[in-house]
Amino acid sequence: MNAIERVGDYSRLMWKTFSKPDSWKMFGKQYVRELHKQGINSLPIVCIISVFIGAVICIQMRINTESPFLPSQLTGYATRETMILEFSSAILCLILAGKVGSNIASEIGTMRITEQIDALDIMGVNSANYLILPKILAFVTMIPCLVTFSITTGLLGGFGVALFTEMITPMEYEQGIQYSFLPYSIQYSIEKSLVFAFIVTSIASYYGYTVKGGAREVGKASTNAVVNSSVIILLFDVMLTKLLLS
Amino acid sequence: MIEVKNVNKSFDGKQVLFDISANLLEGHANLIIGQSGSGKTVLMKSVAGIHRIDSGEILYDGRNISQMKSNELNLLRREIGMLFQGSALFDSLTVKDNVMFPLRMFSNKSEEEMEERARFCLERVDLLRALDLYPSEISGGMQKRAAIARAIVLNPKYLFCDEPNSGLDPKTSLLIDRLILEITHEYNITTIINTHDMNSVMEIGENIVFISKGHKSWQGNNTEIYDTGNEDLENLIFASDLYKKIKKAHQMGI
Repeated sequence: MNAIERVGDYSRLMWKTFSKPDSWKMFGKQYVRELHKQGINSLPIVCIISVFIGAVICIQMRINTESPFLPSQLTGYATRETMILEFSSAILCLILAGKVGSNIASEIGTMRITEQIDALDIMGVNSANYLILPKILAFVTMIPCLVTFSITTGLLGGFGVALFTEMITPMEYEQGIQYSFLPYSIQYSIEKSLVFAFIVTSIASYYGYTVKGGAREVGKASTNAVVNSSVIILLFDVMLTKLLLS
Repeated sequence: MIEVKNVNKSFDGKQVLFDISANLLEGHANLIIGQSGSGKTVLMKSVAGIHRIDSGEILYDGRNISQMKSNELNLLRREIGMLFQGSALFDSLTVKDNVMFPLRMFSNKSEEEMEERARFCLERVDLLRALDLYPSEISGGMQKRAAIARAIVLNPKYLFCDEPNSGLDPKTSLLIDRLILEITHEYNITTIINTHDMNSVMEIGENIVFISKGHKSWQGNNTEIYDTGNEDLENLIFASDLYKKIKKAHQMGI
């Protein structure tokens, strides 16, 4: 299947996905289940990665900008900007493409090869809508919370460096993260992440839903889902940054 | 009754079914048999509306599925129950929730009424003791019975069974066959069974369609099958020594 056919296939699947659910009650149940699975269950990994990356950015910034000609608040300022503008939206979604994306692709792929999706279709259930829509909406709902959580824990990671090392004082770091703050940065970060969340879930669902074969193909679909959604996220990152910041 | 008229089906330019016509009778177990790769699964999936046919007609009590729009097809599918080869139970749901799933999707019944109906169907297949177990916690035969309960929970007019005995021991196979036949007669269902289990053919073959290399080669019932004069069918049915002896005994009137 060539790229154009894939795009057509993906668009058809999304058309089928975004329709009225057969049962709102069942949709609600699935949606809440996915909120928990994709959102709440992702908090530990988001926390761990953000704290450490926040700390590392703080250390790197301090080492590379240590100069009598540069203000000491620069470290906190650069940490904040890096976390808000890039890490907590784009990089976080790349990481979650690995966790959430592969989980979705393998779950739906396994349902496909064990005929569970055929069973839904034969019952007259819109299987794409029943399986995919709650996943997409749940992750898109949760991503602003995950991004905000990541920014907060990342900045706390940097604060930890200021608190437990002598590289920078907590006061300097605090002044830095407050310096020249634009609330629009947060909005920009969340807007980007909403697009990335849709990319991760819809592409993973597409690869899972269209699996043919056995366990080997499910594994392959899971890998393809992560690789392709990562590449598309990076592509959209460039485009959205140009559109939203210039 | 389901009427199959001059059905042709191909995949990627390779024709799999050639001009197949057959009547699948209401209140009877209709078996589609044939060697592996003969096209019987494609025929069953085409009749069930999973595959779109290239040409011909499939009429469900006079309703042509090849001319139906997707919403009409979805409505028809609510009259269809299907038992898949691997049971296809939802592994994240318990047996009870699996059986209640079609009710939750399509009925306006209260939770108590749905549970009562699910219990009735599970009792019918003698599986009440597995209500709260997950599919991975029960045996293959129990999974098949749970799948039958799920397939009949909405009172289907048509029941499709794809190799219902695959992976089961002979005793359990017989139980499943008899259960399908009982349900077919009890609820007057048009049941279509895709199988190459010769025990099933002999036990419940009320209307048998034999497919050979994509063509309908013979149609009859399990009493007529002993003397068809069809070489391909005889090679399939009486391939083993045991069935050769059974045929000989039948011909001798024993």
